[in-house]
Amino acid sequence: MNYKISSEFIPTINAIEKHLVGKRETIALSLATFFAGGHLLLEDIPGVGKTTLAKYLSQVLGLDFGRIQFTSDMLPSDILGLNYYNQKEGSFVFKQGPIFTSFLLADEINRSMPKTQSALLQAMEEGVVTIDSVAYTLPEPFFVIGTQNPHEEVGTFPLPNSQLDRFMCSFGIGYPDSASERAILKGDKEDSNTVSQALLTSSEVEMYMKKVIKVTLSDALLDFLQAIIAYTRESEVFEYGLSIRGALALTAMVKSWAMLQGRNYATADDVQMVTSIVCSHRLVFIEGKTTAKRIHDEIFTQIHSDT
Amino acid sequence: MKFLNIFQNTNLTPLKLLDLAFIIVLLPLFLMLKVPMLVFVVMVLGIVFFTKKPAKTWLIILIFVLGIFALYLSLYGAFSFRGLSRLKLFLELLVYVLLIVVSMQRLTQQINIYLLLSPFLFLALSLFFFHGMLMLIYVIFEIFFLLWMILSHRMEGDIVESFRSSIVMFMYSLPWVVVLFIFFPRISFEHASYGFRGETVQRMGHDGTMFLDNKALLVPSDRIVMEVGFEKKVPPSNLLYFRGSILYIDNKDHWEPIPSFVKRKKQVLRKINVDTIEYKVTLYPTQKRWIYLLDVPVKPVKESKLDRDLISTVKHSIKEPMHYAATSALSSRFYDELDRYTLKVSSRVNPKHNPQTYAEAMKIKDLYPSIEKRAKEIIKFFKSKSLTYTLKPEPLDINHTTDSFLFDKRRGYCVHFASSFVTMARMTGIPSRIVTGYKGDVSNALNNYLAVKEKNAHAWAELYINQHWVRYETTSTASHIESQQQTDEDGESVKSTKNPLVKKVNLYLMYAKYQVETWILYYSNIRQKQLLQYAKDNPKFIFTFVVSLIFLVMISFLLISYFRRPTYSSEALAILQPLLQFLKKKGFVRKKSESLHQYFMHYVEENQEKIELTMIIKEIDKIYELIVYGNMNTKELLKGLKKLVKKFKKI
Repeated sequence: MNYKISSEFIPTINAIEKHLVGKRETIALSLATFFAGGHLLLEDIPGVGKTTLAKYLSQVLGLDFGRIQFTSDMLPSDILGLNYYNQKEGSFVFKQGPIFTSFLLADEINRSMPKTQSALLQAMEEGVVTIDSVAYTLPEPFFVIGTQNPHEEVGTFPLPNSQLDRFMCSFGIGYPDSASERAILKGDKEDSNTVSQALLTSSEVEMYMKKVIKVTLSDALLDFLQAIIAYTRESEVFEYGLSIRGALALTAMVKSWAMLQGRNYATADDVQMVTSIVCSHRLVFIEGKTTAKRIHDEIFTQIHSDT
Repeated sequence: MKFLNIFQNTNLTPLKLLDLAFIIVLLPLFLMLKVPMLVFVVMVLGIVFFTKKPAKTWLIILIFVLGIFALYLSLYGAFSFRGLSRLKLFLELLVYVLLIVVSMQRLTQQINIYLLLSPFLFLALSLFFFHGMLMLIYVIFEIFFLLWMILSHRMEGDIVESFRSSIVMFMYSLPWVVVLFIFFPRISFEHASYGFRGETVQRMGHDGTMFLDNKALLVPSDRIVMEVGFEKKVPPSNLLYFRGSILYIDNKDHWEPIPSFVKRKKQVLRKINVDTIEYKVTLYPTQKRWIYLLDVPVKPVKESKLDRDLISTVKHSIKEPMHYAATSALSSRFYDELDRYTLKVSSRVNPKHNPQTYAEAMKIKDLYPSIEKRAKEIIKFFKSKSLTYTLKPEPLDINHTTDSFLFDKRRGYCVHFASSFVTMARMTGIPSRIVTGYKGDVSNALNNYLAVKEKNAHAWAELYINQHWVRYETTSTASHIESQQQTDEDGESVKSTKNPLVKKVNLYLMYAKYQVETWILYYSNIRQKQLLQYAKDNPKFIFTFVVSLIFLVMISFLLISYFRRPTYSSEALAILQPLLQFLKKKGFVRKKSESLHQYFMHYVEENQEKIELTMIIKEIDKIYELIVYGNMNTKELLKGLKKLVKKFKKI
């Protein structure tokens, strides 16, 4: 892939890469998802650095970090919070759940019951939590990284596709290449307990998010985007096509990826870069296994950009 | 063009495409199929339409039997081995056999080379049956359609793109078709019967004799007898006399020519001091042997004989439209040395038949010794009788036609005028004769085109004065002219158009039809020679021809470029095209899935040693990206892009 991350973000990425060696692209894509205002679903086997990524991402972005380890006996109130009776004051008091944070790591999201899952997903979509008919606004920005184990295990409740749609992107981290792995094995990785400094201020974060919205999409690019979206709907290899939300997510990601490269316009390359990660949890092949690479190949051997 | 997207992925199977081609090609042939064969074809189409699987052997055999049966019924009565010598019957048989064979092969659902070729065979065969203008248009359509079918098959059913390509191919071929057409005239099926017998039967118009009674054939119809193309503008009406035949012998109620077995001295053609004009005639089938030339023909038309009365005849009666070029001097008089026989015949008159006229004639003869004076006096006399020109005269007394016309009824048309005039002239001692033929009417003319209709049939007199035959327009002595309109009011409907606008439009249509027919449908080596001769005489024509050919080429190229205009999503991409093509030629092919940026980066990677080039490519990439994605569609950027492309190509 051809891309060149803008120098503004290089320090940020470098800081995270210290802990997640050889995964610059994954880090950049996570950043892009964050700036696009979406949520990220990390799907990979345990022990490849999902949590590490989330942790250090939150640190460099200077956001409050909250983490929920999902278990099968978890209740919605364990995430959202609850009203309890304060005997001292003689009234009900709202106790915020762990969701009231800017940066939430929802670990092993498929371990909890659907009821709990949906409580989280609703909050993710609306940015609002309603308890006992009182609405509590979640902090701004609000970014969730969900992780799940792709291999079905006993006691998991796979997320239905409609719920998966709420995540903007989904990708795995994968094994490091041999050089990086060697570095890790050697122990060149920085101590996992060190706390990274926040490299971006909240105003900067806000500015970048605004920048994403302002990225222009030319007619040529919109044609290309629409061709892709139409193809996912018309093609007979997928069970169903991209929803409107999916299409919006794709556009937002394209813009964000363009912004990450310091451009105020998006190109066809940006689209090629992000399409598979936006679509990999949204599209399902009728036959065979659905993988991001397969989606990418399927779409871009059929849909070409002249420009 | 959004709606065209529906067709984008219509993947028509080769079999379906072939079916379409068959239907298109067979449509005109349906018009000539006899009912049993038509039923057979419809039945086969039905089977083809409703069955998806290849037909079983028994069905194919059944189809064969049914086809033979239909063929037998269709040709029942018409067929004999002698009949095969007629081109149309032979071809009909060919079409039927081909239909049966094609049906059988089609039902097996296997495409073989013969099945693929048969649409073209049908196309060629239909040309034998129809050669009108509609067919010409349809054939062009058919060829285009077949081309489109082939292309769309090759292009994996992409209907829109193959349509575009076939238009382009069609446009490319257009100028060459014109050139080929001019230099290789097609053999007109009308003319070349390949040893088959001709069979157009049509009767019309002019006859060798001229009747004065009610039997006199007078059809004021608008049917076209011939179409004449002049070199320049059509001459005025009073010069447009087409000679048909000459009548000498008065048989009371009708006039006859001199029998053909009579040997007469040959005519000595002497030059006439009037400019000659050239013209081309298309004569429609008359079943007669006369061809009509303008007075006075200067030389015989090829393949025809010009007799001593300057009447042209061809060897066989005319059964197909005939084309000939002729030269005439538009004079109303010409020199002739009369032999004794002709002099005798043209002076013969029986005074007893028309005593009243004879008395008047004798008066004139006694008073004026000069022959010219006598002729003038006869005209004067005719004028004094206040005759009426009408197309609906009362019948004359057939034993005394001239007396009856001049002194009793005094109503008649050209035949009666000419007959009476000649009779009286002979009585005064002037040798004279009647000429029948056609008189052109400039109201049927447009530019250099003149249509001669049946109602233009005419008769006039020729008087032998001072060793010259002099034409006399005898109907001009009429004092009253009863127009056709008045006679129509009698109730009998003569359906001729009265509206001048309709008439004008009609004339224009006829003119256009004539031009297409002469120069396209009937274009043959004869026309080619005419064209060459014309080009030789008019060097200017060659220039015009070349210029118009260039014009045509340019037009077709314009059309091509219109249809091939790039459907690039942006102007910038159009600017980059030369560069992309250049790179492609150099063997650097862009992968389909590659975006342009990726393609350029790819190039840069592979050609790192060519620093200058990669620099330019990088620059181009940058500007291009700004224009296409950055919405910075400014003129300066586009100009810069153009410059860079040029610079790149230079290096």
